[in-house]
Amino acid sequence: MNPQTRGHLHPITSVIREIATIFDKIGFSVVEGPELETEFYNFDALNVPRDHPARDMQDTFWVKPPKESLEQKERLVLRTHTSPVQVRYMQSIKSDPKASKIIIPGKVYRNEATDATHEAQFFQIEGLYLNEKVSMAELKGTLEYFFKEFLGPEAKIRFRASFFGFVEPGVEVDVWWKGNGEGGGKWLEMFGAGLVHPHVIESAGLDPKRWQGFAFGGGIDRLVLLRYGINDIRHLYTGDLRLVSQF
Amino acid sequence: MKVSYTWLQTYFEKQLPPPGELGELINSHVFEVESLEKVGTDTCLDIKVMPDKAHYALCHKGIAREIRAVSGIVLKEQKIKAVPKDQTSPVEVKIEAKELCNRYMARRIDNVTIGQSSDLIKERFATVGARVINSVVDATNYIMFDIGQPLHAFDADLVKGAIVVRKANKGEKVELLPETQTIDGKIVMKERVVELTPNDLVIADDAGVLAIAGIKGGKRAEISSKTKNIIIESANFHPVSVRRTANRLNLRNESSRRFENEIIPELAGDAMSAVSSLILESSPGALFGQITDEFVKPTPKRTVTVSAPFVMGKLGMAVNEREVKEVIDATGSEIAGRDGEIIVIPPLDRLDLRIPEDFVDEVARIKGYDRMTSVLPPVLDRIQLPVKSFYVSEKTKNILCGAGYSEVLLYSLVEKGAYNIEYPLASDKSALRESIVPKMLESLKLNAVSLDLLGSDTIKIFEIGKVFPESGEKTVLTLGVNLLRKKKGVTAESVLGEAIVMLEQNLGLKLITNIVKAGTSAVAECDFDGVVGGLSSSGSLQSLDFAILPRDIKYKPFSLYPFITRDVAVFVPKAIKPEAVWQAIEKTLLEKNVMDLVARHSLFDVFEKDGKTSFAYRLVFQSMERTLKDEEIGGIMTTIYEQMKQKGWEVR
Repeated sequence: MNPQTRGHLHPITSVIREIATIFDKIGFSVVEGPELETEFYNFDALNVPRDHPARDMQDTFWVKPPKESLEQKERLVLRTHTSPVQVRYMQSIKSDPKASKIIIPGKVYRNEATDATHEAQFFQIEGLYLNEKVSMAELKGTLEYFFKEFLGPEAKIRFRASFFGFVEPGVEVDVWWKGNGEGGGKWLEMFGAGLVHPHVIESAGLDPKRWQGFAFGGGIDRLVLLRYGINDIRHLYTGDLRLVSQF
Repeated sequence: MKVSYTWLQTYFEKQLPPPGELGELINSHVFEVESLEKVGTDTCLDIKVMPDKAHYALCHKGIAREIRAVSGIVLKEQKIKAVPKDQTSPVEVKIEAKELCNRYMARRIDNVTIGQSSDLIKERFATVGARVINSVVDATNYIMFDIGQPLHAFDADLVKGAIVVRKANKGEKVELLPETQTIDGKIVMKERVVELTPNDLVIADDAGVLAIAGIKGGKRAEISSKTKNIIIESANFHPVSVRRTANRLNLRNESSRRFENEIIPELAGDAMSAVSSLILESSPGALFGQITDEFVKPTPKRTVTVSAPFVMGKLGMAVNEREVKEVIDATGSEIAGRDGEIIVIPPLDRLDLRIPEDFVDEVARIKGYDRMTSVLPPVLDRIQLPVKSFYVSEKTKNILCGAGYSEVLLYSLVEKGAYNIEYPLASDKSALRESIVPKMLESLKLNAVSLDLLGSDTIKIFEIGKVFPESGEKTVLTLGVNLLRKKKGVTAESVLGEAIVMLEQNLGLKLITNIVKAGTSAVAECDFDGVVGGLSSSGSLQSLDFAILPRDIKYKPFSLYPFITRDVAVFVPKAIKPEAVWQAIEKTLLEKNVMDLVARHSLFDVFEKDGKTSFAYRLVFQSMERTLKDEEIGGIMTTIYEQMKQKGWEVR
């Protein structure tokens, strides 16, 4: 047999590639950021204040720096979402702000008990569109485009009012999933999204009177699990080729 | 938050839509409804109140106001029966820590009957899952669930001197009211003494601490069956202070939850009137004292300026001024005037309405997102390439895949490392990995077991991922090889070495790797940030030539039971094709109805000798439900051999 058979990519990588390709067609380019974040980028700059119940919405891994003597100015966290990269990106262009479309794939962490549908580490995709005039209708258009490309032309989305500190208005994005063969379709909660809160734009150093944006974010693992019918999220991270070699 | 349907109905004259319909309305316009459950003749709606609206919405009245906003069903005016006053002495109150207590109201009520609550209260508590205690404590809790103000009741005869709101002294202790706890499936009352710090706010008297402000009462002045006279507290405590103390003492409850979400001090007055009236119902002979009201700072009035064009621009849908005004009205706000734009005064307790964008949110959820059309944002004239780290990483994955390496994604959380997790959930996930090597060695070992299932004799894997050595976060590329079937002159290390040379040629730079050996495995790790830095630029996604995975791949779960491998080799006449040999094997398997036990089959050897061809097939048997027995597989193999012999083939 041919010893030089191709290796397999992890399905998470394949799906990130597919997502990046879809967004590339409408001008979104890939940006990345660190996994070990500061409290400022993960929460404060995203309008999730200290000692506020909104922080409880995400179970956080707080991280102790290696030496107690090395007093950190900021507490460290494993990022609970890819949203801190929004702030980092806006900061990076603040001396010469320009309209931008970016997506941010990456690993995130939540301090919660693991089971077949919950893992302490998983992947998210984040999107940010920044311009002088941005609307919710454009957000809806962008997500509709994405899900139709990703799931098929029959995919539908709907917005439900919700709250995330870093957007106002904020919505949950439900997606009509036709199911993978068995049974009928159903609405599934897929993304959180909204217009970037003026406080977030301001904390990144841009003028919120001039700049507006929309942002969205959601889990990639769930898309992978649903699409391919993987029964346990934990199988994704054990390095087991019995899973990887099926893709 | 658990909400009773019949309780909500008390806020409306008109019949509400049936529970299912109401739940749907709330779910799509207000908050997520997590469940809907019938309790007796009532229905419990479990509503996920979001932190931005928890100031006013963590109660039945708050949810009723939201229903009014999104349905237009008008709210009924609530009448509270006034109680007499000056029938007994007032309570002396002193707020020392004014920065942590914005208002403290206290009223003495004498001659109360401590009995059972009315059936109405009992039923509603059953719906929302609250514990029934006695008529006085139940009344305070009832008001909290009804309008959102936590209250507390003390036995007036056990309070010594004036009530003081102050910070606790260092080391000061308080014995708390017993709490219910479930131990071994039994509900028991558990008492607890806690030690306080000067950051904790307490309610105290001459004899010491009476309660931890906004969180939990002490045992000393507890309401008991012997209680005759009571003091009711209706107060406003600082959200951050309550949150910190409740977190530190692990005492988060219905009361602390409401304070930490910041309720306005004006609510304390409404709650005092309401609870007095409710106590008079259960204790008709009660004598009411005057309310002592220490009020530090009232909530200032705010104005927010909005306009229909602003809302329209943000939503990207047609909205006229009439609709914007309807929404302003639905939130209970007043319109103070207009100057091109509408000047709005939100209700004092709508702390979520502070900036114009907040009204954009209100318009969208009240008028409905379903009427929003969708449009793509304009094309930008500047095309940006993917960030270089992404480009180089994907390019490297392509090269490695082409060389037979499969990608794994391993755990970043491990047992030991330079960066440790505060309060880890599991000891094997208490630090951030400093290197991928240990987990990759585990993966090489794990996969060695399934070699036959994978149909390979060498495991080749890689990961590009973040590691966290003492110097901080960095990206590494880790390659692993496990060479299980010995070949002359080939070692896991030499296989790795070839891959590294090949990678260096393809990327056009030198890799600095560190190779670790363990048994038949070898792992190499290199600094990938250096690789990214060493390359001059990023490139387009198209140039990476991504192959899109088919949507219809159906994942087959793998069995947790061991597998058995058997080989069958036959000499057949030259004219016989390998497919014919497999068909013969398959026929036997189908006849014996064991096809579902064949996890993998492969033709692994072909050679010719004396005009005949030898085909060797490898069969891997595995069950999803049980451990297979050798004899069972032996039986199947014997039948296969016999079938082959019948065809005149020579089994080797």
